[in-house]
Amino acid sequence: MSFALNGVGLTHANGFTALREITLKAEKGERIALIGPSGAGKTSLLSVLGTALAPTVGTAEVLDFGQNFRLTVELAKLRARIGTVHQAPPIPGRQRVVTAVLAGKLGQWPAWKSLASLLYPLDVVGARAALERVDLADKLFARCDQLSGGQLQRVGIARVLYQQPELILADEPVSALDPTLALATIRLLIAEAEARGATLVASLHAVDLAIGNFSRIVGVKAGRIAFDLPASEITVPLLHDLYASEGDELPVQAHEPHFLSQAAANEAATRAACC
Amino acid sequence: MSRIDRDPAARSRLIGALATLVILWPLFQAAEVKPGVLFDPGNLKVIGNFLAGFLPPETGAEFMGYLAKATLETLAIATAGMALAFLIAVPMGYLATGAGREKATLNPITRSLLTILRGIPELVWALVFVRVFGLGPAAGVLALGLTYGGMLAKVYAEILESVDAAPARALRHNGAGRPLAILYGLIPQASKELASYTVYRWECAIRASVVMGFVGAGGLGQLMDQAMKMLNGGEAATILLAFMVLVFAADGFSGWLRRALDTPPANRASPFGWRSGGLGLVLVVSIVASFSYLEIGLKSLLTVEAAHSIGEFVAGFFPPDLSAEWLAKVGKGIWETLAISVVGTLLAAVAGLLLALPKWRAPFSFLLNTLRSVPELVWATITALAVGLGPFAGALALALHTTGVLGRLYAEALDNAPPAPGQALHLVGAPGGFAFLYGTLPGAAPQLIAYTLYRWEMNIRMAAILGFVGAGGLGQLLYFELSLFHHAQASTVIIAMLLLSIAVDQASARLRRWMA
Repeated sequence: MSFALNGVGLTHANGFTALREITLKAEKGERIALIGPSGAGKTSLLSVLGTALAPTVGTAEVLDFGQNFRLTVELAKLRARIGTVHQAPPIPGRQRVVTAVLAGKLGQWPAWKSLASLLYPLDVVGARAALERVDLADKLFARCDQLSGGQLQRVGIARVLYQQPELILADEPVSALDPTLALATIRLLIAEAEARGATLVASLHAVDLAIGNFSRIVGVKAGRIAFDLPASEITVPLLHDLYASEGDELPVQAHEPHFLSQAAANEAATRAACC
Repeated sequence: MSRIDRDPAARSRLIGALATLVILWPLFQAAEVKPGVLFDPGNLKVIGNFLAGFLPPETGAEFMGYLAKATLETLAIATAGMALAFLIAVPMGYLATGAGREKATLNPITRSLLTILRGIPELVWALVFVRVFGLGPAAGVLALGLTYGGMLAKVYAEILESVDAAPARALRHNGAGRPLAILYGLIPQASKELASYTVYRWECAIRASVVMGFVGAGGLGQLMDQAMKMLNGGEAATILLAFMVLVFAADGFSGWLRRALDTPPANRASPFGWRSGGLGLVLVVSIVASFSYLEIGLKSLLTVEAAHSIGEFVAGFFPPDLSAEWLAKVGKGIWETLAISVVGTLLAAVAGLLLALPKWRAPFSFLLNTLRSVPELVWATITALAVGLGPFAGALALALHTTGVLGRLYAEALDNAPPAPGQALHLVGAPGGFAFLYGTLPGAAPQLIAYTLYRWEMNIRMAAILGFVGAGGLGQLLYFELSLFHHAQASTVIIAMLLLSIAVDQASARLRRWMA
């Protein structure tokens, strides 16, 4: 088991209830896309999975670590095994790319190594390898404020690749990237998860990206799970119902008319590859 | 390790570190840094006796009356001086800043005028004005207005340059003029910092107006001077307490104001509510009240006699004494002053950063405020008792006061730094210290460096006058020569102070660019 949420509810300090009665389980190596209108609770759900927020109701178990994420040594160890791609890359502009990537392992490194790495980056080879996978190896020693928004987002992804977590969480990881790059990046995350048997949970704004690439789709609406289905069983009416609050148009990345059938084809290809 | 995997910045970092050591070593030597002296039993006894004399603080009714009057006078000098400074700073800052220009050109004439205004310490201005306008608050207000006008203008200019220039550029490309581009594109980003710096400067003005009392410009300082001369520890303690209360109140006011700037605007057309309106009213009333309380008539400054005495006084300073013997003495003073300022600022930067860490903030904010509320000059009288007269006492006094100032500014900068990077690192399990080092600190670094370097520029001026109480450097020379009416020699020292402060400004600007 990778994680199990049981009847999880989350009420923020200001009284706003972001999540209600969420029950969601995932096995190791599963790849799940979260979709739903903005404000539905996707980010809150990811925050609970990332132990940033403790559920106010119900129980959450992440990577065999019990509920009640209190700040302890154990929690820090758990967090080192969870990697998050954030919506806006949380990287200081003055930091160099190499340091930003290496920071992914701060939870795993001994203190002396983290300190020494501020003076001289201690794993240039590792950082370069991670950056190569997002096509940014040439920016290794550049400063982050010299990068474009899309490049910075990929540095954030390289950091997670470098961290090598068992659970990868991605909060709208590609909303700042152009469609081609977005697709490539999603595929990279999936390949990474596949290669290491890690679980991947990504919230996505574009429905077609989700259905075309993920095997399991979880629809979130008003803090609840609206549906939890294999990609092949998602229907257009189901999606229209999910996005009812945002009008008639479904949010998609590229306006390709038959993305559902394309998803089915993908599914077939995957199955063929499996057997 | 293969060639491409070597850090290209490593060599320049190493050279930078070595160069820093080579430069700092002789400066520490010149400042006569001897930490051992601090714990010398003889010195500890002297300082113990001195502090014991502070208890109990004087609370007699007559003295309290004097105290209240002097406190009001100090507040009025600070407020009137700040009003004058603000009037000078806004147009000068606008002229001096490169912000909102299509090409980031700086205005060299305004910049050099500002440098002269700031370069001569307010205490020296005050000494000069007291000679011209006689004892009393007018000299203090003018001295404050000129120096702080120069400082405010410079900081306004730099804050406007340090925020994201893109919004203003976009507005200019859409055809907006420079003032509007600044108002709509830069002020919204910079307003918090501008306001918090202005309020902070007002607190400094309160401290400065106290110090200026030592040269006869009225307020709490004059009272303090009398108490110190009569070795009345009880009165001195009460005055210090009154002073701290003033600074704490100003601090609370500043915090309230910054919170007010954070509240989202109300859902109506006018962004100004009762709070801004009331604040504006209070501001206007207090400025008018300050000027009338101090009875500063501009007329008395514009009489023929005044002009005559100014001319005569100024003429006495020319030509400056440029004999080789005197220049050598001044040169030594410059070196010592530089050493005091660098050592004091460095010690303060380290201590200030430690005290500003979020973890320790709460228990130490009181300490920071206490350190900050006591002026350097007063600290110097105490440190001189602890380690003996000389540059080390000056460096320590600077360090004590600056720790308070920098600690507070650092805390603000760390609060204002983007929180997301640090939080993200917490989420990958980084221990708090490393989440701070890798995530929060880089975001705040430009601000921290700018504050430190700017403070160093201030401290070089302060180091130059600490000698007034025997803490070495140029001040000791100036005080000596002025009390002997050796105006030509004093003039050389003042010019040296100005040149030193210009050189430090340049060095600081260069360092800031290099580190940015």
